[in-house]
Amino acid sequence: MIAPRTVLTRLLTHPAFILAAIAALFFGCSWLSGGTVQILTFLMLNILLAQSMNLLTGIAGQISLGHAGFYGMGAYASGILMKTAGLPFVVSIPLAAAIGALSGYLVSFPAGRVREFYLAMMTLAFGLIFREVVREWDDLTGGAVGLSNVPSTTLKNLSVFGVTLDAIDYFRIVVIVTAIVMWLVHNFIQSRHGRAFYAIHASEVAAGCLGIPRAGTKRQAYTIGAGMAGLAGGLYAHMIGYLGPESFDLARSIEVLVTTVVGGLGSMAGQILSAIVFTFLPEKLQVFAQYQFIVYGAILAFSLILLPRGLAGLLLLPPRFIKPASLRRAGTAGVAIRPVDSDRNAALVVEGVTMRFGGLTAVDDVSLELHPGRITALIGPNGSGKSTLVNVVSGIYQPTAGAIRFFGESITGLPDHRIAGKGLLRTFQDPRLVPRFTVRENLLLGAHRRYRTSGLAAALSLPSAVREEATFLASVDAVTRMAGIADVADRPLESLPYGYRRLVEVGRALLAEPRAVLLDEPAAGLSEAEMALLARMIRAMKDAGLMVLLIEHHMDFVAELVDDVVVLDSGRVIYHGDIEGMRKSPAVIEAYLGTSETEAAHA
Amino acid sequence: MTLKRRELLSFTGAAAAGGTLGFARRARAADPIKVGFTTALTGPFNEFGEGYKRGIEIAIEKINKAGGVLGRPIEIGVMLDDQLIPDRSVQNMRRILDDKSIVGLFCPSGSGPTLAVIDMIAADGRPTMNPQAQTPTVIYPNGPGGKPRPNVYTFSIQNDIEANFMATLLAKKFTRIGLLNESTGYGKTGSELIKAGIAAANKDAVVTNESYNQKDQDMTAQLVRVQRARSEALMVVGLGADMAVIRKNMTRMNMTIPFFTSAGGLSPPYVEGAGDLAAGTKGSQFKKISTVPPAPETKEFLDAYKAKYGADRLWGTDPEVPTPSMGGTVATGYDGMLVMADAIRRAGTTEAAAVIKAMDATKGFLGCNCAYEFTPEKHHAIEIGDLTTYEFVKKDGRMTLVPTAI
Amino acid sequence: MEDFLTLLLAGVSVGAVYGLIAIGLNLTFWTTRTMNFGQGSVMMLCAMLTANLIARGWMQGLAILAALAVIVVLMVFTEMYTVRPALKIEGSMGWAVSTLGVGIILQGCAALWFGSQAVAFPDVIFSAVDNVVIFGVHVSLQYIAVVVLALALVVVFELLVRGTVWGRAMRAVAMDQDFAAVIGIPVRAIVLGSYIASGLLAGISGILVAQIGGTVDPAFGFELVIFGFVAAVLGGMGSTPGALAGGIVAGVLQQMVGGYISSAAQHGMAFALLILILVVRPQGLFGQREINKV
Repeated sequence: MIAPRTVLTRLLTHPAFILAAIAALFFGCSWLSGGTVQILTFLMLNILLAQSMNLLTGIAGQISLGHAGFYGMGAYASGILMKTAGLPFVVSIPLAAAIGALSGYLVSFPAGRVREFYLAMMTLAFGLIFREVVREWDDLTGGAVGLSNVPSTTLKNLSVFGVTLDAIDYFRIVVIVTAIVMWLVHNFIQSRHGRAFYAIHASEVAAGCLGIPRAGTKRQAYTIGAGMAGLAGGLYAHMIGYLGPESFDLARSIEVLVTTVVGGLGSMAGQILSAIVFTFLPEKLQVFAQYQFIVYGAILAFSLILLPRGLAGLLLLPPRFIKPASLRRAGTAGVAIRPVDSDRNAALVVEGVTMRFGGLTAVDDVSLELHPGRITALIGPNGSGKSTLVNVVSGIYQPTAGAIRFFGESITGLPDHRIAGKGLLRTFQDPRLVPRFTVRENLLLGAHRRYRTSGLAAALSLPSAVREEATFLASVDAVTRMAGIADVADRPLESLPYGYRRLVEVGRALLAEPRAVLLDEPAAGLSEAEMALLARMIRAMKDAGLMVLLIEHHMDFVAELVDDVVVLDSGRVIYHGDIEGMRKSPAVIEAYLGTSETEAAHA
Repeated sequence: MTLKRRELLSFTGAAAAGGTLGFARRARAADPIKVGFTTALTGPFNEFGEGYKRGIEIAIEKINKAGGVLGRPIEIGVMLDDQLIPDRSVQNMRRILDDKSIVGLFCPSGSGPTLAVIDMIAADGRPTMNPQAQTPTVIYPNGPGGKPRPNVYTFSIQNDIEANFMATLLAKKFTRIGLLNESTGYGKTGSELIKAGIAAANKDAVVTNESYNQKDQDMTAQLVRVQRARSEALMVVGLGADMAVIRKNMTRMNMTIPFFTSAGGLSPPYVEGAGDLAAGTKGSQFKKISTVPPAPETKEFLDAYKAKYGADRLWGTDPEVPTPSMGGTVATGYDGMLVMADAIRRAGTTEAAAVIKAMDATKGFLGCNCAYEFTPEKHHAIEIGDLTTYEFVKKDGRMTLVPTAI
Repeated sequence: MEDFLTLLLAGVSVGAVYGLIAIGLNLTFWTTRTMNFGQGSVMMLCAMLTANLIARGWMQGLAILAALAVIVVLMVFTEMYTVRPALKIEGSMGWAVSTLGVGIILQGCAALWFGSQAVAFPDVIFSAVDNVVIFGVHVSLQYIAVVVLALALVVVFELLVRGTVWGRAMRAVAMDQDFAAVIGIPVRAIVLGSYIASGLLAGISGILVAQIGGTVDPAFGFELVIFGFVAAVLGGMGSTPGALAGGIVAGVLQQMVGGYISSAAQHGMAFALLILILVVRPQGLFGQREINKV
């Protein structure tokens, strides 16, 4: 038996259905009344806005409270450019999108330094300033009185290439633009760019450690999202022919956010459903007269309790983030790990690294080296500074003192994504994956740094982009086989037991084609069978000539694998050598017996 | 998507059905003559929408009691609520315009929504009454003095009329004048016209113009500027609730210069908000509606209103004499409906061009606010002579507006 | 000079109220990383209820207490039925929509019960005519009263947070909810408490602002909460003295810009300051720089 959600999802996402729907709107509109055509035009704009907000909030996890500002930028830009500067429609509309995008880019300026909540405040402030400026700048925007006589279908003074447009022509243009934009966004989301957005959303730190720049990615999300809103605004300007500041106030921004949340964050189809609801709702609510506020409020207050994942969660399957076309072309010829070319400089050298937090010294003058084809274990009691050291090496913390060199090049203090970009990868003590992604999508995230095709190529779904993705998908396949997770490759990660997540995280690091891997307690919580799989992967890394740093408490597991051992206690190196020597080292014995006996025997 | 398709089908169905029915109906003479409008029936500005809706309803009852027009009764065919949100006004108005059985239209309650729908209405061509929006460009797209939109007639106090009225009075008495306006179309055009009017009447006059946002809770900054300019009087273009905030703020700052407001300020929310501080506030408002004793045509309306709603909030505090702002909230709708019906009667048909021609020939039609007269060049009716100045005075323990001189 | 003092006093007075609103927003931000988007409606409801009860002849103090009691019940409802369920759905932003929904319901109810027009707010402590003359400058006692009350509230609030078991428990929840639960702090009660306290602060701010403005209507509060946001971010999210200082900075700046540069730029300038702070010093005037926990 197939669930109704599956049927509905297949139907709604079927290309034939989508084309039929577009055709029905395109050709059917001539039989509709003027009011219906107009409200459908509003619907298309609301869909564009909802998709824009979805890309920003649902995919990239950034909240915008100033969408009406971006929308208004586009509207006034196109309106003024056409009315005052006399630019043609085909120029003013792309410019509206560009100006919207520019404002989004500028608003996200402090993206590198502030967290999502503060960026939301930036957008809020932007939206409010926009409204104030529009209201006061009489000469340009018409001020509070508004801008009348914008070329529009109402006034019959809007023409494209000499053809005067009526409301139906205009609706058709808007339908086509909306469809094209959605197609582009859909492709974009199902590419490494969209996945990078989602990775930032799930964990900025983990994304950074895969080579995804957090500031740049957020900025990209704001720019594209605001560009789409600007485009919607441009199209709005020529529908009615009048622009007034009231149409772009905070209430409008909130309306867009509400539409997106109720539609189901992340789902493009959900956005369409939600836009339909919220476009027609006010009209339908008029029957409630003075109760309409209460009814509207109740819908907002309780819809999320009834529909935890929005309309999309109720009606549709969760969205996927890999293009089916790429999946079909993937093939099975992938390699899990490619041997790494080694050279004289091939080493990770940590020299006298110290990390202090306020008065607390977490890592104290630690030096160690990793070499190709060797596995080095980093052990020590809890709180001895192991994870902190990994955080310093991978660029999450800036060391207080000391230097780190990778292949002879200093990487001290570089941001995490740059370090990952050089082939130095890491995993986390608590697996930091994208819970809503499938195993395959999570793994593919690892390959992020290896992609060469641009966002535009991905959005246009150019053959080169599809081919590239297919190549990496083949590698993903190979890794799933190696890690023993091939049978769950298409299951969402959040539905899998803990052990799988560990394996996925290690596998994800492999897909980055690393030259060195830092594994932070990869065996914690694994079953015997899973541990065997993990050991197989780690050995494969060694065989391929990778440098491996392994933080682990599980001594039997460590003993089987490692070449060198470094023991930390209270942030200092107390032993460096082979495993036999460690067992006899008085310093190590004291450190363990002195602190916690159970720690050493800990599984 | 399925939802959308179903919607689509139902819309096409409804449109087709509406079309044929409309056609069949037009053939029968006893069918009602329909009017339609979208306005703020709920939400923060509902006193305006609710007011003119009542006016239209009372007018329709009067007309229908007398046998209707052309032997047909009048009814409200479509009445939609836009809460004064421009986009919603646009959607509602388009829906109304789609209904070809609607003969006459009324504009929304505010300048913003009205400007958003006015081109649509002009392109449609059906006779349209504008009961409340005051911005002159609603009627005269190229400013007062230019050619009006052929099918739109205003029953409100046009901003330029009110501004001229106040400017002349102010310029006569004061040379340094503080001018405050809300940052809306109404406030901004109003204050600009007043400024121009004052400059025209007195070249030496100094006007300090400041603006505030509706619902601002503190106006100290604006008032300090007015005070620093050593203004001898303060004139505010805005609505009642904000006016109360300003009045209280003046008191806190011990500002005692004479206080004048636009018509929007001489309204119940101002007295309610400012309480006893309202005493002494002056401004312009409709004259005829509060004249004692009322003219017969005004009395007829007032009696009907009182019978239906009593001396309620829109009526004001004096159970005998309505507050002049009722001329703007309720009577403009009433007058608009009566004048339109009269034009239809004279035209002998409901066909738009003929009704407009008859509207343009309206002369001496006695309404609650004035004697209406329209020509092809002049589509507003309220003139300076139809306004008067009032002052809030405390009488028998309650604030009332009494006619006064400035 | 007189102008300056007048502007300063009005700015401090209104700004102190912004600060109170900001502290209310901060509270729930600490405990749950959420903010009540319907906070404006809470302010409105409290002020409108107070005005209505006084108009019915209630004693002023009693009317205020009754209105605050209603707010407590309302906040319990908000937290239990809209925030808590929404928080169970990770990353859904549902709380933003559901709290906004409650705000809109309240606005609708207020319009239904009290009418959608502005109603007069009675003079609770002083009236607008009560002035004292200090150094030849007329100083309104209403402003002074608002400032004093707001400052007193902030002090009491800080003492409670710092000095009581509940305050410490709340700070523990703010640091790390899971850890707080492990060491036996009743996290749910603390979160609920933070919503109640946040609502009470909003309610009192509502009454104080209504005192200055003189009228309240169902849409009241919405714009004020925006300035509450500005104050919270200016001062640094999470810092109580910061919120108060942020509010006062925003309030005074508004008046000074309005009084000396242009009244049209009054609000825009406050928002521009917000952007400037976010660009230059994102942790706010008093906030601590956030360290990524890994």
